[in-house]
Amino acid sequence: MEITFKKLFAMKKKLIIKLKKLLVGMTFLLLPSLAFGQMTITGTVVDADGITIPSVTVMVPGTSIGTITDLSGNYSIEVPANAENLRFSFVGYKTVVEPIQGRTKIDVTLLLDTELIDEVVVVGYSSQKKSTLTGAVSPVNVDDLDKRRVSEVAKALQGQVAGVQVTQSTGAPGDEIDIRIRGEGTIGNNNPLYVIDGVPTRELAFLNPSDIESMSVLKDASAAAIYGSRASAGVIIITTKSGQKDKPTLSISYYRGIQNAINLPTMLNSEQYMNTVEKAWDNAGYGGTNPYTADKGRTDFANTNWLDELFETGFSQNIQVTASGGTEKVQYLISTAYYDQDGIVVYSNDKYKRYNFRANINANLTNRFRVGTNLQLSYAVQDKLSSKGDAPGIIRHALLRPPVLSVYKDKDDPTYRENDPFTDLPFYKHNNRDEGGWESDKYEWTQNPIALAYFTDDVRSHFKTFGNFFGEYAFLHDKSLTFRTNVGIDLNFYHNKNFYQNFGDDDGGGSDIDKGKGRQNRPSGLSEDRGEDLTVTWNNTLNFDKTFDKHALTALVGSEFINNFSSSIGASRSRYDYTGKTFRYIDFGSTEQDLWNGGSGSEWALLSFFASSTYVYDNKYMATANLRADASSRFADNNQWGYFPSISAGWKISEESFMKKYNWLSDLKLRVSYGKLGNQEIDNYAYLTLIQKEGDKYLISRYGNPDLKWETTTQYNVGVDLGLMRNRFYLSADYFQKITTDILLPISLPSFVGDVQPTIVNAGEVSNKGFELGVTLRNSEKAFKYNINANITTVKNNVEKLHPNLPRITGNVTRIEPGHPLNAYYGYEFDGIYQNMEEIKSYLHGTINPTALPGDIKFKDLNNDGKIDDNDRTFIGNPNPELYYGLNLSGSYKGFDLAVFFQGIGKVDRYNDSKKIVDYDTRPFNYTTDILDSWDGEGSTNSTPRVSFTDNGSSKISSIFVEDASYFRLKNVELGYSFSKFKELSNIGIKDIRLFVSAQNVFTITNYKGLDPESTDLMDMGTYPLSRSILFGINLTF
Amino acid sequence: MKTTYKLFLLLTLFAFSNCESYLSKDPIGLLTPEQVNLDPTVTSVNYSVNSSYQLLSNTLNIIGEWGWDDGTVLRNDFVLHDIASGDMQKKWNPDGDQAWMDEFSNYSFIASNGAFNGIWSYDYEGVSRTNTAIDYLTDEDVMSKLNIEPALKNRLLGEAYFLRAFYYFDLVTLFGDVPLLLKPLVSFEEAYEVAQRTDKATVWDQISNDLKSAKSLLPNTKYSSDSEKWRVSKGAVIAMQAKVALYNKQWQEVVTFVSELEQLGFYKLNDNYFDNFSVTKEFAEDEVIFAYDHQEAKTPNRGNGLCALIGWGFVAPRDNFVESFETNDPRLKYTVDVENKNVNKILGTLDGSNKGNDDAPSNRIFIRFADLLLWKAEAYLELGSFDKSILLINEIRNRARNSISIDGSMPPTGTLPDRNLTSTNKTEIMDWLMHERRVELGFESHRFNDLKRWKKAEEVLGGYGFQSKHYLYPIPQGEIDKSGGTITQNEGY
Repeated sequence: MEITFKKLFAMKKKLIIKLKKLLVGMTFLLLPSLAFGQMTITGTVVDADGITIPSVTVMVPGTSIGTITDLSGNYSIEVPANAENLRFSFVGYKTVVEPIQGRTKIDVTLLLDTELIDEVVVVGYSSQKKSTLTGAVSPVNVDDLDKRRVSEVAKALQGQVAGVQVTQSTGAPGDEIDIRIRGEGTIGNNNPLYVIDGVPTRELAFLNPSDIESMSVLKDASAAAIYGSRASAGVIIITTKSGQKDKPTLSISYYRGIQNAINLPTMLNSEQYMNTVEKAWDNAGYGGTNPYTADKGRTDFANTNWLDELFETGFSQNIQVTASGGTEKVQYLISTAYYDQDGIVVYSNDKYKRYNFRANINANLTNRFRVGTNLQLSYAVQDKLSSKGDAPGIIRHALLRPPVLSVYKDKDDPTYRENDPFTDLPFYKHNNRDEGGWESDKYEWTQNPIALAYFTDDVRSHFKTFGNFFGEYAFLHDKSLTFRTNVGIDLNFYHNKNFYQNFGDDDGGGSDIDKGKGRQNRPSGLSEDRGEDLTVTWNNTLNFDKTFDKHALTALVGSEFINNFSSSIGASRSRYDYTGKTFRYIDFGSTEQDLWNGGSGSEWALLSFFASSTYVYDNKYMATANLRADASSRFADNNQWGYFPSISAGWKISEESFMKKYNWLSDLKLRVSYGKLGNQEIDNYAYLTLIQKEGDKYLISRYGNPDLKWETTTQYNVGVDLGLMRNRFYLSADYFQKITTDILLPISLPSFVGDVQPTIVNAGEVSNKGFELGVTLRNSEKAFKYNINANITTVKNNVEKLHPNLPRITGNVTRIEPGHPLNAYYGYEFDGIYQNMEEIKSYLHGTINPTALPGDIKFKDLNNDGKIDDNDRTFIGNPNPELYYGLNLSGSYKGFDLAVFFQGIGKVDRYNDSKKIVDYDTRPFNYTTDILDSWDGEGSTNSTPRVSFTDNGSSKISSIFVEDASYFRLKNVELGYSFSKFKELSNIGIKDIRLFVSAQNVFTITNYKGLDPESTDLMDMGTYPLSRSILFGINLTF
Repeated sequence: MKTTYKLFLLLTLFAFSNCESYLSKDPIGLLTPEQVNLDPTVTSVNYSVNSSYQLLSNTLNIIGEWGWDDGTVLRNDFVLHDIASGDMQKKWNPDGDQAWMDEFSNYSFIASNGAFNGIWSYDYEGVSRTNTAIDYLTDEDVMSKLNIEPALKNRLLGEAYFLRAFYYFDLVTLFGDVPLLLKPLVSFEEAYEVAQRTDKATVWDQISNDLKSAKSLLPNTKYSSDSEKWRVSKGAVIAMQAKVALYNKQWQEVVTFVSELEQLGFYKLNDNYFDNFSVTKEFAEDEVIFAYDHQEAKTPNRGNGLCALIGWGFVAPRDNFVESFETNDPRLKYTVDVENKNVNKILGTLDGSNKGNDDAPSNRIFIRFADLLLWKAEAYLELGSFDKSILLINEIRNRARNSISIDGSMPPTGTLPDRNLTSTNKTEIMDWLMHERRVELGFESHRFNDLKRWKKAEEVLGGYGFQSKHYLYPIPQGEIDKSGGTITQNEGY
């Protein structure tokens, strides 16, 4: 005995158990010890077929005493005399708790647990086992989500689920992210509905990704129908983490990262720029001497790389603390987090900070009556820098500003000022332009983006209280009937404050009172507004869940009532004498003129009744039916109610007796569904004709449409789920057809009715048809564990019909017409470059005195009439991606873990407006190096026209600007090491320390010339570039 | 158990009751036409007429916000009438900015050029506002609820009729057949029903009728309102009647109307040419009959935004225009001061102030007495009364040579000699008339319509690329698209 005791001490190590994670750390045997009051229990664990199972976790519940079975399925464990039970658990099997009752040999048979394999999925107002789901529901792997290390849930969702496309429209900290489920169904708002702990909301940004316990995406009508009225774009159901009946745990995690802008275009340097504009002047055919030739070699020229100057390294950090625990009666979880990001633009006026606090408490007041609350507070402050488009479009100005201008003025320059050292008007001397005060004829009027970055002061803060309180009571003898009432509050306070500081050079303009001031933000001013938005949701459900013999029946009936009220108030004043931070308040602006104050409010309400039922026979045949009736205040009285039914059915073939012999087949299910969902995401009073009082005028601001009604999406879905080898391999494939009718669309009336806002009309029908495939391959039994998850989706979007009064709807660069995708690009088709005059004359044979010159863009003459006019326009691109995919690879070995995530989009076009204004504009802006290949003479090129200050065809909307925006990106790589095996840690009470390093947006493969192929704008105007980041972090669990 | 069931029932009932009423939400702060009609005030009716003037101004961004490509930044008259007439060029120094304006210098525009959309939007928004105003003022119900003085009501109605006629005049001379709307729309579907082009003869008739109605409603004074001198006056109505007759070649009517206006005794040629335009003489001179009153520092803006464009280098004379002036003609420097690059007529000053000011106080002159005299001269010419015609031309020249030049001196003797009264050569007199109109009314947006009216456009502008199809501008492509094709395009486009 003594000898063994010493051996034991030499070999003693502790077993650490992670209750939630399925990946188990290193484990060691715990040899029997001599201690009094201990006993040794041994045994073997087998499965239903008598085959032994290795690596089964055997432990004494409530303690940290445990072991695992060896390769032959045998175990041996030393337990205290007062131990009551032994728990046996293994992935994919039902956990068994065996009372010891004095036995020293306990053999156990573990049964396959279909529940664990396919999880309990939250669907509708209840949860269902995935095995009996007939709708298209995809649970999200929350562990993979956690590894993404992003500030926002939406970003984390990217590429995780088939059919879900997540795109960030700009990379700016705090800017919105779009989620599309199965394509763009409507012309208005396509964002799905998020239901967080039973409270529906349209916002997701405030949620801390680490707070999420489970997430499921309801994609088809059957799954989503229970949310009918607002679910036509799909529903994402999120349940936040709650406490468990367990020993209390405390976990702290922290990461810090750095970011840099990537994928920036190469702009011309000063020499190249001067050569290009010199050529452009020559090609314009102006008489006289070329001013640029004379300017070459000027000593006051700089060689500024504006993009370089504008971007710097950004930082981010995140700290999260969670404490949870519970008893049989009460469970709690409290978490708090702080996220902070300083973006990649200089002078740090692009920041985002968010504080989160969450408390989640559940209590069983009696064994039938349960109450609970989830309460979240979040406060986010965004320092916003204009991230897209024209005004003030900091990024755009960085692309356009000529390199010959310097960032700062020379200290010796008489116009230099301490508080505004930046250049503004090119080569500025004084404020009389006609006497040579500055040189905007030659070098344009761009703003200095560094100055803009410095002077911008635009802060938007958002305080949110989101939470719910529920009570649940179980009736009947077997508690199969439960009544639940849930009240949710979503209260938001917004505060935006934007101070426009006056800066720049004096151009001699402005009204008399402002003479002498710089031209930017003249006069200075402050605009501030505060808003509040309160939504109260109250739902009541009655849920019946009973299994008897082979029949399992669930039924649900309920009601929901949502009321929203929002209001805002704002003011602005101009002409601030003092502009320091302490004076940036409304009181300190001038009261003489240019004052403004305003405020308004808005409200809407929804009332719904719904019912749902699922019947499963013998775990093989299942059917679900849902019906929801909704009334919305956004429609006129006669059209308020909408009805949304759905049905689905499934056949679990793998449960059939004739299939049982194939043990390698763990799951095979066919499912089919059909249903209708609704949409009412339009302005609150859209059906009314409205008159607005504007100053002293009463003007019709919009014509109404009293027949306005719900938009309906009808979805058909056919799918198959296949699982092999105890679901180690799992495949889910779906074919879907989503048809949206009565699309709510704002239609611009012809201008002869006056200047009115568009009227919302039920106009048209759009279909999205596609195919989704999700494949998972995993192995968590050996020492090297891996998990491969791939998904791919194809979607084809088509406009089926439009309102009878409108055969087509024309936008700036798009056209909506039946038979083509939604918002397809429309314009002229590029056909090469004219090489000489003979070519022009013969090609444009139908035009009197054609003004085109050699080197100009040649457009396709579609009707061959020898003229290029509006009849030669056609469809030139499709902004709706037809393919998107994601690939997640993760693995772990001996404490190391690695996760790699790829994501991409294929077959998509984008209108690159920034290309138009940079390389194809008639003004002397800077160009990218692509322009160095421009046409130079006959035969020099057939793809880039001559540079010129006159129109070379670039003013026409054409396929030159429509680019293939498909890309493949390595989005995330994370490598971590977990110290859980070291016993020293457990001595100080630490269960685990994990260190990790992660990189995001590592590389992108794309042909797109814009800043970021991920941009979702129809016209990409030069968005904020995406950044590559590297993070280091640590997770501590106590 | 029982109490639990009771509670449950109560809860359910409570949940479902009272909820339906929450579903009817009255719009906060936004008025429906019913509310406005239910509760009209004199102020609101007054304001509906006032707002109808706004589309005539040069204020920036009345529609949209910096919509350069849509042509809605400001009223495009200077492009459609002045650049297209060969008098003006876009900028002093050619460049690539706003290339769509250059298309009017060489007639290379197509229907999607923003200028057409711009003027169409402005004019029709004006029509829409006047229709609303006329609708109120002719509605028995609304008027009986109000306590409005008949004189005030008549005056307001007269103003609205005039303005509607004025907007339609612009539309029919630019585009030909245009949709004719005479009352506000009730629903959006009606928009598609009325999306048809009406024959221009019908539009001219409507213009004449509106002017006739206006004439009877306005008071017999020089200004309709002493406190607001910018309002439409009877003189303006008669002047427009003369103009309508002129454009329809009803020469005798032209003479009759102009004479009627002269009888009123309110108007004569100012002693000094620049008094018409000077900011200091607004509403304190005798020649201007109808102008838009720009005022600075008002909220919302009603300043002259064209001055800002001048500050950015826009609005320059073509060499041809400058050369057409006779030696020492003081009107050249008053119209445009080439050395200092000041378009004095528009700036309203002689020293370049207001240049670059987007809120300038200088007024936009639409109709002035000199213009009328030249119409009368043209009518006489067509009627065969050559001497009467030449007399009027000489009156204009006389005033010009007796105006103090911009540098303070009088033009030397021999400047602008009288035309030969005894001439009977119609072509020669026509040439004098065309020349006189060009130099007297330069940059006032009359020349293009004149050249078209005289059928001289091809002769004078053919060298720049003018073709016969350009007698009418194309209907904006956007309108054709938005109407679903029921509005058709002009020939040749």
